[in-house]
This record gives sequence, C-alpha cells and structure tokens, in this order.
Amino acid sequence: MKKDREFENIFDECLERMARGDTIMQCLESNLEQAEQLEPLLRMAQAARETSAILPRPEFRARARYEFHSALQEVTSKKRPSLFGLRTRLVTAIVALSIILVSGGGTVVMASSSMPDNPLYPVKLVSEEMQLALTPSDIDKAEVCVMQADRRVDEIVYLADKGDAQQVHVTAGRLDECLETLVEIASLEGAEAAAVVGEEALPGALTAVPEAAPVEEAAVDGPTEESALIADGDLDELKTTVVCHAANNQSALLRKLMDAPESVKPALHRAITVSANGYEQVLTTFD
Amino acid sequence: MQDEESLVRRAKQHDQEAFAQLYEKYFDKIYRYVALKVGDRMEAEDITQQVFLKAIKSISSFKWKGFPFSSWLFRIAHNQVVDYLRKKTKREAVALDDTLLTSDDDPQLAFDHKLDMEQLALATKKLTRAQQEVISLRFAAELPIAQVAKVMGRSEGAVKALQHSAVLTLRKVLTGTG
Repeated sequence: MKKDREFENIFDECLERMARGDTIMQCLESNLEQAEQLEPLLRMAQAARETSAILPRPEFRARARYEFHSALQEVTSKKRPSLFGLRTRLVTAIVALSIILVSGGGTVVMASSSMPDNPLYPVKLVSEEMQLALTPSDIDKAEVCVMQADRRVDEIVYLADKGDAQQVHVTAGRLDECLETLVEIASLEGAEAAAVVGEEALPGALTAVPEAAPVEEAAVDGPTEESALIADGDLDELKTTVVCHAANNQSALLRKLMDAPESVKPALHRAITVSANGYEQVLTTFD
Repeated sequence: MQDEESLVRRAKQHDQEAFAQLYEKYFDKIYRYVALKVGDRMEAEDITQQVFLKAIKSISSFKWKGFPFSSWLFRIAHNQVVDYLRKKTKREAVALDDTLLTSDDDPQLAFDHKLDMEQLALATKKLTRAQQEVISLRFAAELPIAQVAKVMGRSEGAVKALQHSAVLTLRKVLTGTG
C-alpha cells in the first residue's frame, strides 16, 4: 500500500518534470529502482499528452471568439439597461412622430422600404412598433411580427452584400427581438388553443431548409360551427405561415453565406443561428 | 494579466474585458478536454462554444468559495459532454469500439505509430468515469494535480492513484497487453 503510494508520487513527479521539459530518460535516471515499471507508463502518458495537445482550427477560434463577444455584449446590455439608450429611443420616437405629423404619410411610406444605412430607417422602426401596438388581435400581431422578421432578414442580406459586419450583427439582434415577441404571442395563443397540434409545424424544417410549401396546402378549411374552431384554424394557418417564412429566411441567409465577404461571415453565422433558434422556439411554443 | 479571483469578480459585474481574459485563458484547455472526451473535432467545437455561452449566462451564480473558477468551468464542460454522449446512439459507440479492438494485431507495434485523437478517445472509454476525468483534465487540459483534485472534489493522493491506474489501463487497452 505504502509502496503503491510511493510509486504514484514518483510517477506524478516524473509527469510534472516532463511537462516542464525533462525527458523520460532523465526521469528514469533519477528513479533507477522503479525505472522498469515507470518507463512504459511514462511513454503512454507522453503519447496521451502529445495526442491531446491539439489546437482549435483558426477559423473555429475566430468564429467562437466573435460569438462569445457578441453574446457577452448582448448579456451586458440586457443586464444594464442604459438610460442613454432609453432616452435615445424616446427621442427617436418623438422625432419620428413629429416627422410623420408634419410631412404626412409620405415619409412613412418612403421609410418603409429604407435600409439600416438610410436616415429614414429609425422612422421605419418606430412605425413598425406603432403598427404592432395598434394591431388588436394576437393572431394579427403575430402576422405583423412574421413580416417584420422578413424585413430584418432582407436587411441582413443587404448589409452582408455591403460588407457591413457591425450592422449585420445589430440587425441580427433586432431579428432576435422580433422572434422573441413572436414567441410571447405564440405562448399566449398556444395556451388558449392547447388542443391544436399542427403537423406542418415541424422544427426540423429549419435545418433541412426545405422548399417553401404553399400556405394554402396546409390551411384548414373555412370555419364551420364553433368560434373555437375558427381560432384553431387561424392558429394552424399561422403556424404554416411561420414554417414557410422560417424556411425562406433561413435559406436566404444560408445562400448569402456562400457569397458574402469573409469579414461578414461570422456575423452572418450568428444571424443564421438567431434565425434558426428563434423560429424553432416559436414553433415549439405553438406545439 | 490580473489574478484570477479579481478577474472573476469583475466578470460577475459584467466587465467584458475581464471575461474575455478568462475566455482566452481557458479556451484551448476546454477545447482539448472536450475533444478527448468526445473524440470528434467538429462536435468538440460546438460543445466548447456552448460551454462559454453557458458560462456567460450563469456567471452571476458563481460563488468564490475556495474552489477555483476552472473547477466551475470544467464542471459546465463535463455536463455538456455528458448531455452530448447521452444523445449519441448506442449503436454508433459499439461500432467504433469494435474497430478499435481489431486495429492492432501486434501489441508492440501499437506504440510505434503515433496515436490519433479518435484512437485515444476510444481507448479512454474503457476506463472508469473517474479515470477518464483524470486523463482529460491532466493530459488534455494540462491542469496540475492540485487543480484536478479541486475540480473532481477528491484528495491529491486519490487523484494520483487514479492517474496511475488510468495510464496503466490505457496502456493495456492500446497495446492489448494483459
């Protein structure tokens, strides 16, 4: 027992010495009595150590670092809501509202097709927020969110084309917020119509990136008797819509990844992850 | 680089720079630890990334009670690996094991060629869980014995004994010697 302990200590000491640069032979010379027993074990340990000493691929290292910093930034900004940020948002809303009141609907129409690098883009965001707030039913709100998510994806594709990684990152954050709102609505709807199980709403559709199925195919026949049935049909239709839009958006982002500049790819990867996870969460919530 | 305790304290207060330093310090170690456990580079990449994302989410729950930050981080990595292995099909594992056992006819030749990661990962599967943990922490993550002991919640003596028996068994498995 004592001998075993002694040997274990010697073996460990040799391993430490080897980690510091000593050779196996040097260790054996200092422990002649145990050399015969030690040698095969030290060779095995050295082989295991050398084999394990692999380095992450540089592209993985770069992608992982980028995602880590993005996640860190997101968490930090969520944990510490900035007063400055809130103020900026409020000011933007007031300015946007003033523009709308002064110039009428024309500005809003022009802003609706603006991209994040356009001065009218804040007006687009505010008008979207207002549209969501003024939409009465949850189902309609969800549809608004689906459309807004489409716009965010279009914007990401546009920004990726321009090579603006920073804005791709910011817009992916907006896409995430949009899908989170959709999850909230889906959870309300899901609770109200818990009995509905839509076979079309398969989360796997996101990873396979299937061709978009026509919405009509899965739509439930028109309302028959009870109002509950109307709600069920709406929900089914909404789920089908989400599946189609999710697949289209995911496929657009993946296509863009093929020809985007290298500098934008980490940000695009993140946008793809945000989109896949977000839509999957929406569909899981529906189920 | 600042001492780890102060970095962790700052990271808990959402100091990005402090967290980034901890990330750089442990990234390679965690990756190697995971890679040896799963024996697949691509899976190891995914899991490593998850480990650090989880760390960001739960850093506020970390309490400095004499246990190093590394033991908390390796615990997250361990849990992620366990989750991954649980999901892997049993059939796959059996097929790989069979390949390993028939790969070397001559035991003496086994060490003449360089071990590859998959071979080593498969061989470690023949060890007990505690032995596997020691091999991964000691040889892949390159932690000193005192830190391995803290990560595993065992005495240094117990870890040294596990280390000895693990290397002995590993050799037997890889060379086919009884």
